[in-house]
Amino acid sequence: MNLQAVRSIYYFEMARFFRTFLQSFISPVISTSLYFVVFGTAIGSRIDQVEGVSYGAFIVPGLIMLTVMTQGISNASFGIYFPKFIGTIYEQLSAPVNFLEIVLGYAGAAATKALFIGLVILGTSAFFVDLSIQHPLAMAGFLILTCISFALFGFIIGIWAKNFEQLQLIPLLIVTPLVFLGGSFYSISMLPPIWQTITLFNPVVYLISGFRWAFFGTADVPVGLSLLAIAGFCALCMAVVWVIFRTGWRLRS
Amino acid sequence: MTAMVKISDLRKIYDGGFEALKGVSLEIREGEILALLGPNGAGKTTLISAVCGIAVPTSGTISVGGHDTITDYRAARQLIGLVPQEINLEPFQKVMDAVRFSRGLFGCKRDDALLERILRQLSLWDKRNAKVNELSGGMKRRVLIAKALSHEPRVLFLDEPTAGVDVELRRDMWDTVAQLKADGVTIILTTHYIEEAEAIADRVGVIAKGELLLVEEKAALMARMGRKELIVDLQEPVAEIPEALAAYDLRLIEDGRALVYTYDTTADRTGITNLLAEIAAAGLTLRDIRTHQSSLEDIFVGLVKEDAA
Ligand SMILES: Nc1ncnc2c1ncn2[C@@H]1O[C@H](COP(=O)(O)OP(=O)(O)OP(=O)(O)O)[C@@H](O)[C@H]1O
Ligand SMILES: [Mg+2]
Repeated sequence: MNLQAVRSIYYFEMARFFRTFLQSFISPVISTSLYFVVFGTAIGSRIDQVEGVSYGAFIVPGLIMLTVMTQGISNASFGIYFPKFIGTIYEQLSAPVNFLEIVLGYAGAAATKALFIGLVILGTSAFFVDLSIQHPLAMAGFLILTCISFALFGFIIGIWAKNFEQLQLIPLLIVTPLVFLGGSFYSISMLPPIWQTITLFNPVVYLISGFRWAFFGTADVPVGLSLLAIAGFCALCMAVVWVIFRTGWRLRS
Repeated sequence: MTAMVKISDLRKIYDGGFEALKGVSLEIREGEILALLGPNGAGKTTLISAVCGIAVPTSGTISVGGHDTITDYRAARQLIGLVPQEINLEPFQKVMDAVRFSRGLFGCKRDDALLERILRQLSLWDKRNAKVNELSGGMKRRVLIAKALSHEPRVLFLDEPTAGVDVELRRDMWDTVAQLKADGVTIILTTHYIEEAEAIADRVGVIAKGELLLVEEKAALMARMGRKELIVDLQEPVAEIPEALAAYDLRLIEDGRALVYTYDTTADRTGITNLLAEIAAAGLTLRDIRTHQSSLEDIFVGLVKEDAA
Protein backbone atom coordinates (compact mmCIF):
# COMPACT_ATOMS: atom_id res chain seq x y z
CA MET A 1 0.00 0.00 0.00
CA ASN A 2 1.47 3.32 -1.12
CA LEU A 3 0.23 5.37 1.83
CA GLN A 4 2.50 8.25 0.95
CA ALA A 5 0.63 8.62 -2.35
CA VAL A 6 -2.75 8.56 -0.61
CA ARG A 7 -1.52 11.26 1.74
CA SER A 8 -0.17 13.36 -1.14
CA ILE A 9 -3.44 13.28 -3.07
CA TYR A 10 -5.44 13.87 0.09
CA TYR A 11 -3.38 16.88 1.17
CA PHE A 12 -3.36 18.26 -2.33
CA GLU A 13 -7.16 18.12 -2.47
CA MET A 14 -7.52 19.54 1.03
CA ALA A 15 -5.16 22.39 0.14
CA ARG A 16 -7.69 23.59 -2.40
CA PHE A 17 -10.29 23.53 0.35
CA PHE A 18 -8.12 25.50 2.77
CA ARG A 19 -7.24 28.09 0.14
CA THR A 20 -10.91 28.96 0.07
CA PHE A 21 -11.59 28.08 3.69
CA LEU A 22 -13.60 31.15 4.56
CA GLN A 23 -15.81 30.60 1.56
CA SER A 24 -16.18 26.91 2.42
CA PHE A 25 -17.19 27.88 5.92
CA ILE A 26 -19.40 30.89 5.33
CA SER A 27 -21.50 29.65 2.45
CA PRO A 28 -23.11 26.72 4.33
CA VAL A 29 -23.68 28.99 7.32
CA ILE A 30 -25.52 31.48 5.14
CA SER A 31 -27.53 28.92 3.20
CA THR A 32 -28.54 27.11 6.39
CA SER A 33 -29.65 30.36 7.96
CA LEU A 34 -31.71 31.11 4.87
CA TYR A 35 -33.40 27.70 5.05
CA PHE A 36 -34.31 28.36 8.65
CA VAL A 37 -35.67 31.77 7.87
CA VAL A 38 -37.75 30.51 4.94
CA PHE A 39 -38.77 27.01 6.00
CA GLY A 40 -38.39 27.14 9.75
CA THR A 41 -39.92 30.50 10.43
CA ALA A 42 -42.29 31.21 7.55
CA ILE A 43 -43.60 27.70 6.93
CA GLY A 44 -42.87 26.37 10.41
CA SER A 45 -45.18 28.93 11.94
CA ARG A 46 -48.04 27.24 10.07
CA ILE A 47 -46.93 23.65 10.58
CA ASP A 48 -46.88 23.06 14.25
CA GLN A 49 -45.12 19.79 14.78
CA VAL A 50 -44.14 16.82 12.68
CA GLU A 51 -44.10 13.48 14.48
CA GLY A 52 -43.78 15.25 17.78
CA VAL A 53 -40.83 17.42 16.71
CA SER A 54 -40.96 21.13 15.97
CA TYR A 55 -40.82 21.73 12.23
CA GLY A 56 -37.62 23.78 12.53
CA ALA A 57 -35.82 20.89 14.19
CA PHE A 58 -37.47 18.33 11.91
CA ILE A 59 -35.80 19.70 8.79
CA VAL A 60 -32.27 19.71 10.27
CA PRO A 61 -31.34 16.12 9.35
CA GLY A 62 -32.70 16.55 5.82
CA LEU A 63 -30.86 19.80 5.41
CA ILE A 64 -27.58 18.24 6.49
CA MET A 65 -28.10 15.27 4.19
CA LEU A 66 -29.01 17.48 1.26
CA THR A 67 -25.80 19.47 1.61
CA VAL A 68 -23.55 16.54 2.41
CA MET A 69 -24.72 14.60 -0.64
CA THR A 70 -24.35 17.47 -3.09
CA GLN A 71 -21.03 18.58 -1.60
CA GLY A 72 -19.64 15.05 -1.59
CA ILE A 73 -20.55 14.61 -5.24
CA SER A 74 -19.36 17.98 -6.46
CA ASN A 75 -16.06 17.90 -4.56
CA ALA A 76 -15.12 14.41 -5.67
CA SER A 77 -16.29 14.75 -9.25
CA PHE A 78 -14.45 18.02 -9.73
CA GLY A 79 -11.37 16.69 -7.93
CA ILE A 80 -10.81 13.90 -10.44
CA TYR A 81 -12.30 15.62 -13.48
CA PHE A 82 -10.00 18.65 -13.28
CA PRO A 83 -6.69 16.74 -13.65
CA LYS A 84 -8.27 14.84 -16.53
CA PHE A 85 -9.32 18.11 -18.11
CA ILE A 86 -5.94 19.88 -17.80
CA GLY A 87 -3.93 16.73 -18.47
CA THR A 88 -2.10 16.44 -15.16
CA ILE A 89 -3.69 13.02 -14.67
CA TYR A 90 -0.69 11.55 -16.52
CA GLU A 91 1.17 11.67 -13.23
CA GLN A 92 -1.35 9.59 -11.32
CA LEU A 93 -1.53 7.12 -14.21
CA SER A 94 2.24 6.67 -14.41
CA ALA A 95 2.84 6.55 -10.65
CA PRO A 96 3.13 3.30 -8.71
CA VAL A 97 -0.38 3.54 -7.28
CA ASN A 98 -3.44 1.33 -7.54
CA PHE A 99 -7.08 2.30 -7.79
CA LEU A 100 -7.69 2.02 -4.07
CA GLU A 101 -4.98 4.54 -3.29
CA ILE A 102 -6.24 7.04 -5.84
CA VAL A 103 -9.82 6.65 -4.62
CA LEU A 104 -8.82 6.93 -0.98
CA GLY A 105 -7.04 10.17 -1.73
CA TYR A 106 -9.72 11.83 -3.84
CA ALA A 107 -12.89 10.45 -2.31
CA GLY A 108 -11.38 10.66 1.17
CA ALA A 109 -10.72 14.36 0.78
CA ALA A 110 -14.15 14.98 -0.74
CA ALA A 111 -15.81 13.07 2.11
CA THR A 112 -13.83 15.06 4.67
CA LYS A 113 -14.97 18.34 3.15
CA ALA A 114 -18.58 17.18 3.03
CA LEU A 115 -18.36 16.03 6.64
CA PHE A 116 -16.94 19.37 7.69
CA ILE A 117 -19.75 21.24 6.00
CA GLY A 118 -22.32 18.87 7.50
CA LEU A 119 -20.98 19.67 10.95
CA VAL A 120 -21.01 23.38 10.23
CA ILE A 121 -24.70 23.11 9.35
CA LEU A 122 -25.39 21.12 12.47
CA GLY A 123 -23.66 23.82 14.51
CA THR A 124 -25.51 26.62 12.77
CA SER A 125 -28.84 24.85 13.29
CA ALA A 126 -28.25 24.78 17.03
CA PHE A 127 -28.51 28.56 16.99
CA PHE A 128 -32.00 28.42 15.52
CA VAL A 129 -33.66 25.41 17.10
CA ASP A 130 -33.41 23.17 20.12
CA LEU A 131 -31.68 20.00 19.02
CA SER A 132 -31.28 16.82 20.93
CA ILE A 133 -29.68 13.86 19.28
CA GLN A 134 -31.04 10.59 20.60
CA HIS A 135 -28.53 8.26 18.98
CA PRO A 136 -25.30 10.24 18.49
CA LEU A 137 -23.24 7.26 17.40
CA ALA A 138 -25.75 6.23 14.77
CA MET A 139 -25.95 9.85 13.67
CA ALA A 140 -22.19 9.99 13.18
CA GLY A 141 -22.22 6.62 11.43
CA PHE A 142 -24.95 7.61 8.97
CA LEU A 143 -23.30 10.94 8.32
CA ILE A 144 -19.87 9.49 7.64
CA LEU A 145 -21.20 6.65 5.48
CA THR A 146 -23.20 9.13 3.43
CA CYS A 147 -20.17 11.38 2.98
CA ILE A 148 -18.09 8.45 1.80
CA SER A 149 -20.61 6.89 -0.55
CA PHE A 150 -21.55 10.13 -2.24
CA ALA A 151 -17.90 11.07 -2.58
CA LEU A 152 -17.41 7.72 -4.33
CA PHE A 153 -20.42 8.38 -6.51
CA GLY A 154 -19.02 11.81 -7.38
CA PHE A 155 -15.68 10.23 -8.21
CA ILE A 156 -17.38 7.94 -10.72
CA ILE A 157 -19.21 10.89 -12.28
CA GLY A 158 -15.91 12.78 -12.55
CA ILE A 159 -14.29 9.90 -14.41
CA TRP A 160 -17.30 9.37 -16.64
CA ALA A 161 -17.73 13.04 -17.57
CA LYS A 162 -16.20 14.17 -20.84
CA ASN A 163 -17.05 17.85 -20.39
CA PHE A 164 -18.24 20.31 -17.78
CA GLU A 165 -21.87 19.93 -18.84
CA GLN A 166 -21.81 16.22 -18.11
CA LEU A 167 -20.16 16.96 -14.80
CA GLN A 168 -23.24 18.96 -13.78
CA LEU A 169 -25.76 16.73 -15.51
CA ILE A 170 -26.24 13.90 -13.02
CA PRO A 171 -26.22 16.04 -9.86
CA LEU A 172 -28.70 18.44 -11.44
CA LEU A 173 -30.95 15.99 -13.22
CA ILE A 174 -31.01 13.08 -10.82
CA VAL A 175 -29.52 13.78 -7.43
CA THR A 176 -31.12 17.13 -6.57
CA PRO A 177 -34.67 15.99 -7.45
CA LEU A 178 -34.23 12.73 -5.56
CA VAL A 179 -32.97 14.57 -2.52
CA PHE A 180 -35.73 17.16 -2.57
CA LEU A 181 -38.36 14.46 -3.05
CA GLY A 182 -36.67 12.26 -0.47
CA GLY A 183 -38.35 13.77 2.53
CA SER A 184 -35.78 16.40 3.45
CA PHE A 185 -38.45 18.90 4.35
CA TYR A 186 -41.45 16.68 5.10
CA SER A 187 -42.40 13.33 6.48
CA ILE A 188 -43.42 10.67 3.98
CA SER A 189 -46.57 10.15 6.01
CA MET A 190 -47.68 13.66 5.01
CA LEU A 191 -48.02 12.55 1.37
CA PRO A 192 -51.10 10.98 -0.27
CA PRO A 193 -50.93 7.14 -0.13
CA ILE A 194 -50.03 6.64 -3.79
CA TRP A 195 -47.05 8.98 -3.47
CA GLN A 196 -45.99 7.25 -0.30
CA THR A 197 -45.57 4.08 -2.33
CA ILE A 198 -43.80 5.75 -5.22
CA THR A 199 -41.44 7.48 -2.83
CA LEU A 200 -40.21 4.15 -1.54
CA PHE A 201 -38.37 3.70 -4.85
CA ASN A 202 -36.30 6.75 -4.06
CA PRO A 203 -33.08 5.54 -2.39
CA VAL A 204 -32.52 8.90 -0.72
CA VAL A 205 -35.66 8.38 1.37
CA TYR A 206 -33.90 5.59 3.23
CA LEU A 207 -30.89 7.71 4.01
CA ILE A 208 -32.82 10.69 5.30
CA SER A 209 -35.20 8.50 7.23
CA GLY A 210 -32.35 6.69 8.96
CA PHE A 211 -30.52 9.89 9.69
CA ARG A 212 -33.65 11.46 11.15
CA TRP A 213 -34.18 8.40 13.30
CA ALA A 214 -30.74 8.98 14.82
CA PHE A 215 -31.88 12.47 15.81
CA PHE A 216 -35.47 11.95 16.94
CA GLY A 217 -36.06 8.22 17.19
CA THR A 218 -38.80 8.25 14.57
CA ALA A 219 -38.45 7.04 11.01
CA ASP A 220 -40.45 6.58 7.80
CA VAL A 221 -38.83 3.23 7.07
CA PRO A 222 -37.19 0.72 9.44
CA VAL A 223 -33.73 1.90 10.43
CA GLY A 224 -32.15 -1.45 9.56
CA LEU A 225 -33.35 -0.97 6.00
CA SER A 226 -31.81 2.48 5.95
CA LEU A 227 -28.47 1.11 7.06
CA LEU A 228 -28.65 -1.62 4.45
CA ALA A 229 -29.45 0.93 1.75
CA ILE A 230 -26.53 3.19 2.50
CA ALA A 231 -24.08 0.30 2.96
CA GLY A 232 -25.31 -1.26 -0.27
CA PHE A 233 -24.91 2.00 -2.17
CA CYS A 234 -21.39 2.40 -0.80
CA ALA A 235 -20.46 -1.14 -1.86
CA LEU A 236 -21.95 -0.63 -5.31
CA CYS A 237 -19.93 2.54 -5.87
CA MET A 238 -16.80 0.79 -4.66
CA ALA A 239 -17.39 -2.05 -7.13
CA VAL A 240 -17.93 0.34 -10.02
CA VAL A 241 -14.72 2.21 -9.18
CA TRP A 242 -12.86 -1.08 -9.06
CA VAL A 243 -14.10 -2.05 -12.51
CA ILE A 244 -13.19 1.37 -13.87
CA PHE A 245 -9.59 0.99 -12.79
CA ARG A 246 -9.43 -2.62 -13.88
CA THR A 247 -10.30 -1.62 -17.40
CA GLY A 248 -8.79 1.88 -17.41
CA TRP A 249 -12.15 3.12 -18.69
CA ARG A 250 -12.00 6.82 -19.65
CA LEU A 251 -8.61 7.11 -17.97
CA ARG A 252 -6.08 5.13 -19.99
CA SER A 253 -6.15 5.24 -23.78
CA MET B 1 25.48 -3.97 -20.49
CA THR B 2 22.06 -5.22 -19.47
CA ALA B 3 18.78 -4.07 -20.95
CA MET B 4 17.06 -1.53 -18.70
CA VAL B 5 13.97 -1.32 -20.85
CA LYS B 6 12.89 -4.24 -22.97
CA ILE B 7 10.06 -3.83 -25.44
CA SER B 8 8.91 -6.89 -27.37
CA ASP B 9 6.61 -6.79 -30.35
CA LEU B 10 4.61 -3.88 -28.97
CA ARG B 11 1.42 -3.09 -30.82
CA LYS B 12 -0.99 -0.31 -30.05
CA ILE B 13 -4.33 0.10 -31.74
CA TYR B 14 -6.27 3.08 -30.42
CA ASP B 15 -10.00 2.87 -29.76
CA GLY B 16 -10.80 4.47 -33.09
CA GLY B 17 -8.99 1.56 -34.77
CA PHE B 18 -5.83 3.46 -35.64
CA GLU B 19 -2.69 1.36 -35.41
CA ALA B 20 -0.11 3.69 -33.88
CA LEU B 21 2.54 1.05 -33.18
CA LYS B 22 3.02 -1.92 -35.49
CA GLY B 23 5.08 -4.38 -33.52
CA VAL B 24 8.01 -2.46 -32.08
CA SER B 25 10.86 -4.34 -30.41
CA LEU B 26 13.59 -2.39 -28.68
CA GLU B 27 16.14 -2.90 -25.96
CA ILE B 28 17.47 0.13 -24.13
CA ARG B 29 20.70 -0.39 -22.26
CA GLU B 30 21.31 0.74 -18.75
CA GLY B 31 22.94 4.15 -18.60
CA GLU B 32 22.66 5.07 -22.26
CA ILE B 33 21.01 8.02 -23.93
CA LEU B 34 18.71 6.94 -26.72
CA ALA B 35 17.25 9.54 -29.03
CA LEU B 36 14.05 8.67 -30.85
CA LEU B 37 13.63 10.58 -34.05
CA GLY B 38 10.56 10.59 -36.19
CA PRO B 39 8.11 12.85 -37.97
CA ASN B 40 4.85 14.05 -36.39
CA GLY B 41 2.49 11.21 -35.66
CA ALA B 42 5.20 8.55 -35.94
CA GLY B 43 4.25 6.99 -32.61
CA LYS B 44 6.99 8.31 -30.33
CA THR B 45 4.64 9.55 -27.64
CA THR B 46 2.52 6.43 -27.93
CA LEU B 47 5.61 4.29 -27.34
CA ILE B 48 6.52 6.26 -24.23
CA SER B 49 2.92 6.24 -22.98
CA ALA B 50 2.79 2.47 -23.28
CA VAL B 51 5.96 2.05 -21.23
CA CYS B 52 4.80 4.49 -18.55
CA GLY B 53 1.31 3.06 -18.10
CA ILE B 54 -0.67 5.86 -19.71
CA ALA B 55 -1.65 3.84 -22.77
CA VAL B 56 -2.55 0.16 -22.54
CA PRO B 57 -0.66 -1.96 -25.10
CA THR B 58 -2.86 -3.94 -27.46
CA SER B 59 -0.28 -6.73 -27.48
CA GLY B 60 3.36 -7.30 -26.73
CA THR B 61 5.31 -7.00 -23.50
CA ILE B 62 7.38 -4.31 -21.83
CA SER B 63 9.71 -4.64 -18.88
CA VAL B 64 11.64 -1.97 -17.03
CA GLY B 65 14.52 -3.03 -14.82
CA GLY B 66 13.31 -6.61 -15.27
CA HIS B 67 9.81 -5.81 -14.01
CA ASP B 68 6.85 -6.32 -16.33
CA THR B 69 4.94 -3.05 -16.67
CA ILE B 70 1.56 -4.78 -16.37
CA THR B 71 2.00 -7.59 -13.85
CA ASP B 72 4.63 -5.84 -11.74
CA TYR B 73 3.68 -2.25 -12.45
CA ARG B 74 4.60 -0.85 -9.08
CA ALA B 75 8.23 -1.91 -9.25
CA ALA B 76 8.47 -0.94 -12.92
CA ARG B 77 6.94 2.51 -12.52
CA GLN B 78 9.00 3.25 -9.43
CA LEU B 79 12.05 3.30 -11.72
CA ILE B 80 10.54 5.62 -14.31
CA GLY B 81 10.41 9.38 -14.56
CA LEU B 82 8.32 10.94 -17.31
CA VAL B 83 8.48 14.41 -18.79
CA PRO B 84 5.44 14.65 -21.06
CA GLN B 85 5.36 16.45 -24.36
CA GLU B 86 2.49 18.70 -23.35
CA ILE B 87 2.93 21.14 -20.50
CA ASN B 88 0.42 19.69 -18.07
CA LEU B 89 0.62 21.48 -14.76
CA GLU B 90 -1.78 22.53 -12.04
CA PRO B 91 -1.85 26.32 -12.61
CA PHE B 92 -2.34 27.54 -9.05
CA GLN B 93 0.15 25.29 -7.38
CA LYS B 94 3.47 26.59 -6.11
CA VAL B 95 6.54 25.11 -7.78
CA MET B 96 7.81 23.51 -4.57
CA ASP B 97 4.40 22.02 -3.78
CA ALA B 98 4.13 20.60 -7.29
CA VAL B 99 7.47 18.84 -6.98
CA ARG B 100 6.70 17.64 -3.47
CA PHE B 101 3.39 16.22 -4.68
CA SER B 102 5.12 14.21 -7.39
CA ARG B 103 7.60 12.77 -4.93
CA GLY B 104 4.82 11.75 -2.58
CA LEU B 105 2.86 10.15 -5.39
CA PHE B 106 5.79 7.81 -5.95
CA GLY B 107 5.67 6.81 -2.32
CA CYS B 108 8.89 8.57 -1.31
CA LYS B 109 9.39 10.26 2.04
CA ARG B 110 9.59 14.03 2.04
CA ASP B 111 13.15 15.15 1.30
CA ASP B 112 13.42 18.90 0.86
CA ALA B 113 17.21 18.86 0.58
CA LEU B 114 16.99 16.66 -2.51
CA LEU B 115 14.25 18.80 -4.02
CA GLU B 116 16.37 21.88 -3.41
CA ARG B 117 19.26 20.27 -5.30
CA ILE B 118 16.98 19.42 -8.21
CA LEU B 119 15.42 22.88 -8.36
CA ARG B 120 18.82 24.55 -8.16
CA GLN B 121 20.20 22.41 -10.94
CA LEU B 122 17.26 23.42 -13.12
CA SER B 123 17.61 27.09 -12.12
CA LEU B 124 14.18 27.03 -10.51
CA TRP B 125 15.16 27.57 -6.91
CA ASP B 126 14.38 31.28 -7.04
CA LYS B 127 10.95 30.42 -8.33
CA ARG B 128 10.15 27.78 -5.74
CA ASN B 129 7.39 29.86 -4.17
CA ALA B 130 5.98 31.16 -7.44
CA LYS B 131 2.73 29.77 -8.73
CA VAL B 132 3.03 27.70 -11.87
CA ASN B 133 0.88 30.09 -13.92
CA GLU B 134 3.34 32.88 -13.13
CA LEU B 135 6.16 31.09 -14.94
CA SER B 136 7.34 31.33 -18.53
CA GLY B 137 6.92 28.40 -20.92
CA GLY B 138 10.54 27.32 -20.61
CA MET B 139 10.32 27.43 -16.83
CA LYS B 140 7.17 25.34 -16.86
CA ARG B 141 8.95 22.73 -18.89
CA ARG B 142 11.71 22.65 -16.31
CA VAL B 143 9.11 22.24 -13.58
CA LEU B 144 7.94 19.14 -15.43
CA ILE B 145 11.51 17.87 -15.43
CA ALA B 146 11.89 18.62 -11.72
CA LYS B 147 8.69 16.70 -11.03
CA ALA B 148 9.94 13.74 -13.05
CA LEU B 149 13.25 13.73 -11.16
CA SER B 150 11.71 14.14 -7.71
CA HIS B 151 11.67 10.41 -6.97
CA GLU B 152 15.16 9.79 -8.35
CA PRO B 153 14.18 7.60 -11.29
CA ARG B 154 16.63 5.22 -12.95
CA VAL B 155 15.02 5.66 -16.35
CA LEU B 156 13.98 9.06 -17.61
CA PHE B 157 11.69 9.65 -20.58
CA LEU B 158 11.90 13.12 -22.07
CA ASP B 159 9.23 13.68 -24.69
CA GLU B 160 10.51 16.65 -26.69
CA PRO B 161 12.10 18.36 -23.72
CA THR B 162 13.52 21.26 -25.69
CA ALA B 163 10.48 22.24 -27.72
CA GLY B 164 9.96 25.97 -27.17
CA VAL B 165 13.13 26.35 -25.13
CA ASP B 166 15.72 28.96 -26.08
CA VAL B 167 19.26 28.07 -27.11
CA GLU B 168 20.94 28.90 -23.83
CA LEU B 169 18.40 26.98 -21.85
CA ARG B 170 18.69 24.08 -24.21
CA ARG B 171 22.40 23.90 -23.43
CA ASP B 172 21.59 23.95 -19.71
CA MET B 173 19.17 21.13 -20.27
CA TRP B 174 21.77 19.09 -22.11
CA ASP B 175 24.11 19.67 -19.18
CA THR B 176 21.42 18.35 -16.87
CA VAL B 177 20.99 15.33 -19.09
CA ALA B 178 24.75 14.77 -19.14
CA GLN B 179 24.82 14.98 -15.35
CA LEU B 180 22.02 12.43 -15.08
CA LYS B 181 23.84 10.13 -17.44
CA ALA B 182 26.94 10.46 -15.28
CA ASP B 183 24.78 9.36 -12.34
CA GLY B 184 23.87 6.26 -14.32
CA VAL B 185 20.35 7.23 -15.33
CA THR B 186 19.08 5.73 -18.56
CA ILE B 187 17.60 8.42 -20.77
CA ILE B 188 15.20 8.16 -23.67
CA LEU B 189 14.37 11.39 -25.43
CA THR B 190 12.33 12.22 -28.45
CA THR B 191 13.17 15.22 -30.50
CA HIS B 192 12.64 16.88 -33.81
CA TYR B 193 16.02 18.59 -33.56
CA ILE B 194 18.55 16.37 -35.20
CA GLU B 195 21.44 18.39 -33.77
CA GLU B 196 20.14 17.48 -30.39
CA ALA B 197 20.31 13.77 -31.07
CA GLU B 198 23.67 14.26 -32.69
CA ALA B 199 25.00 16.21 -29.73
CA ILE B 200 23.93 14.08 -26.79
CA ALA B 201 22.69 10.64 -27.81
CA ASP B 202 24.66 7.41 -27.66
CA ARG B 203 22.23 5.63 -29.91
CA VAL B 204 19.61 6.85 -32.30
CA GLY B 205 16.32 5.19 -33.16
CA VAL B 206 14.28 6.27 -36.13
CA ILE B 207 10.55 5.64 -36.02
CA ALA B 208 8.01 6.36 -38.72
CA LYS B 209 4.38 5.32 -39.14
CA GLY B 210 4.48 3.11 -36.06
CA GLU B 211 7.54 1.15 -37.12
CA LEU B 212 11.04 1.31 -35.77
CA LEU B 213 13.17 1.67 -38.88
CA LEU B 214 16.52 1.37 -37.17
CA VAL B 215 18.34 1.67 -33.89
CA GLU B 216 22.05 2.16 -34.08
CA GLU B 217 25.08 3.61 -32.37
CA LYS B 218 25.15 7.19 -33.41
CA ALA B 219 28.81 7.02 -34.44
CA ALA B 220 28.30 3.81 -36.42
CA LEU B 221 25.24 5.22 -38.09
CA MET B 222 27.09 8.32 -39.12
CA ALA B 223 30.04 6.28 -40.33
CA ARG B 224 27.96 3.74 -42.19
CA MET B 225 25.86 6.24 -43.96
CA GLY B 226 28.22 9.15 -43.62
CA ARG B 227 29.73 9.89 -47.00
CA LYS B 228 32.08 12.77 -47.05
CA GLU B 229 32.56 15.18 -49.91
CA LEU B 230 35.70 17.09 -50.77
CA ILE B 231 34.96 20.21 -52.75
CA VAL B 232 37.83 21.72 -54.74
CA ASP B 233 37.33 25.29 -55.86
CA LEU B 234 39.24 26.11 -59.04
CA GLN B 235 40.92 29.34 -60.02
CA GLU B 236 39.68 29.06 -63.63
CA PRO B 237 36.47 27.26 -64.58
CA VAL B 238 36.81 24.15 -66.75
CA ALA B 239 34.35 22.87 -69.36
CA GLU B 240 34.84 19.22 -68.50
CA ILE B 241 36.73 16.92 -66.18
CA PRO B 242 40.27 16.46 -67.55
CA GLU B 243 41.10 13.00 -68.99
CA ALA B 244 43.90 12.59 -66.46
CA LEU B 245 41.39 12.59 -63.59
CA ALA B 246 38.93 10.08 -65.08
CA ALA B 247 39.97 7.45 -62.54
CA TYR B 248 38.36 9.42 -59.74
CA ASP B 249 34.67 9.68 -58.95
CA LEU B 250 34.32 13.36 -59.71
CA ARG B 251 31.51 15.77 -60.46
CA LEU B 252 31.65 19.29 -61.80
CA ILE B 253 29.52 21.90 -60.07
CA GLU B 254 29.05 25.68 -60.10
CA ASP B 255 29.51 26.00 -63.87
CA GLY B 256 32.84 24.24 -63.77
CA ARG B 257 34.25 26.34 -60.95
CA ALA B 258 34.43 23.42 -58.50
CA LEU B 259 35.09 19.69 -58.45
CA VAL B 260 33.33 17.39 -55.98
CA TYR B 261 35.03 14.22 -54.83
CA THR B 262 32.90 11.75 -52.82
CA TYR B 263 34.69 9.27 -50.60
CA ASP B 264 34.09 6.93 -47.72
CA THR B 265 35.46 8.13 -44.40
CA THR B 266 35.82 4.57 -43.15
CA ALA B 267 38.04 3.37 -46.03
CA ASP B 268 41.76 2.76 -45.41
CA ARG B 269 42.83 5.31 -47.94
CA THR B 270 40.71 8.20 -48.98
CA GLY B 271 42.85 8.99 -52.02
CA ILE B 272 42.84 12.68 -51.29
CA THR B 273 46.63 13.18 -51.45
CA ASN B 274 46.88 11.55 -54.87
CA LEU B 275 43.87 13.40 -56.17
CA LEU B 276 45.25 16.78 -55.20
CA ALA B 277 48.62 15.95 -56.75
CA GLU B 278 47.00 14.88 -60.01
CA ILE B 279 44.78 17.95 -60.13
CA ALA B 280 47.93 20.05 -59.98
CA ALA B 281 49.62 17.84 -62.59
CA ALA B 282 46.61 18.31 -64.91
CA GLY B 283 47.38 22.02 -64.87
CA LEU B 284 44.47 23.18 -62.73
CA THR B 285 45.05 25.73 -60.00
CA LEU B 286 43.37 25.29 -56.61
CA ARG B 287 41.73 28.28 -55.04
CA ASP B 288 40.27 26.60 -51.98
CA ILE B 289 39.20 23.23 -50.65
CA ARG B 290 36.40 22.37 -48.24
CA THR B 291 34.72 19.20 -46.98
CA HIS B 292 31.13 18.39 -46.16
CA GLN B 293 29.86 15.46 -44.13
CA SER B 294 26.26 14.32 -44.31
CA SER B 295 24.55 14.91 -40.97
CA LEU B 296 22.02 12.78 -39.17
CA GLU B 297 19.45 15.05 -40.71
CA ASP B 298 20.41 13.97 -44.23
CA ILE B 299 20.36 10.35 -43.13
CA PHE B 300 17.06 10.77 -41.39
CA VAL B 301 15.34 12.50 -44.28
CA GLY B 302 16.70 9.81 -46.59
CA LEU B 303 15.36 7.03 -44.40
CA VAL B 304 11.89 8.43 -43.98
CA LYS B 305 11.65 9.10 -47.72
CA GLU B 306 12.79 5.58 -48.49
CA ASP B 307 10.13 4.25 -46.15
CA ALA B 308 7.40 6.31 -47.76
CA ALA B 309 8.39 5.13 -51.22
N1 LIG C 1 -5.53 8.93 -27.73
C1 LIG C 1 -5.44 8.69 -29.05
N2 LIG C 1 -6.49 8.19 -29.73
C2 LIG C 1 -6.41 7.92 -31.05
N3 LIG C 1 -5.32 8.11 -31.80
C3 LIG C 1 -4.23 8.60 -31.20
C4 LIG C 1 -4.24 8.92 -29.80
N4 LIG C 1 -3.01 9.39 -29.47
C5 LIG C 1 -2.29 9.38 -30.60
N5 LIG C 1 -3.01 8.91 -31.65
C6 LIG C 1 -2.54 8.74 -33.03
O1 LIG C 1 -1.42 7.89 -33.02
C7 LIG C 1 -0.44 8.35 -33.93
C8 LIG C 1 0.88 8.52 -33.20
O2 LIG C 1 0.77 9.58 -32.30
P1 LIG C 1 1.95 10.00 -31.34
O3 LIG C 1 1.46 11.05 -30.43
O4 LIG C 1 2.53 8.79 -30.72
O5 LIG C 1 3.00 10.63 -32.38
P2 LIG C 1 4.40 11.32 -32.11
O6 LIG C 1 5.42 10.52 -32.81
O7 LIG C 1 4.59 11.55 -30.66
O8 LIG C 1 4.21 12.70 -32.87
P3 LIG C 1 4.72 14.17 -32.50
O9 LIG C 1 6.11 14.27 -33.00
O10 LIG C 1 3.81 15.06 -33.24
O11 LIG C 1 4.63 14.33 -31.02
C9 LIG C 1 -0.97 9.64 -34.53
O12 LIG C 1 -1.49 9.34 -35.80
C10 LIG C 1 -2.07 10.06 -33.60
O13 LIG C 1 -3.11 10.69 -34.30
MG1 LIG D 1 4.73 13.13 -29.48
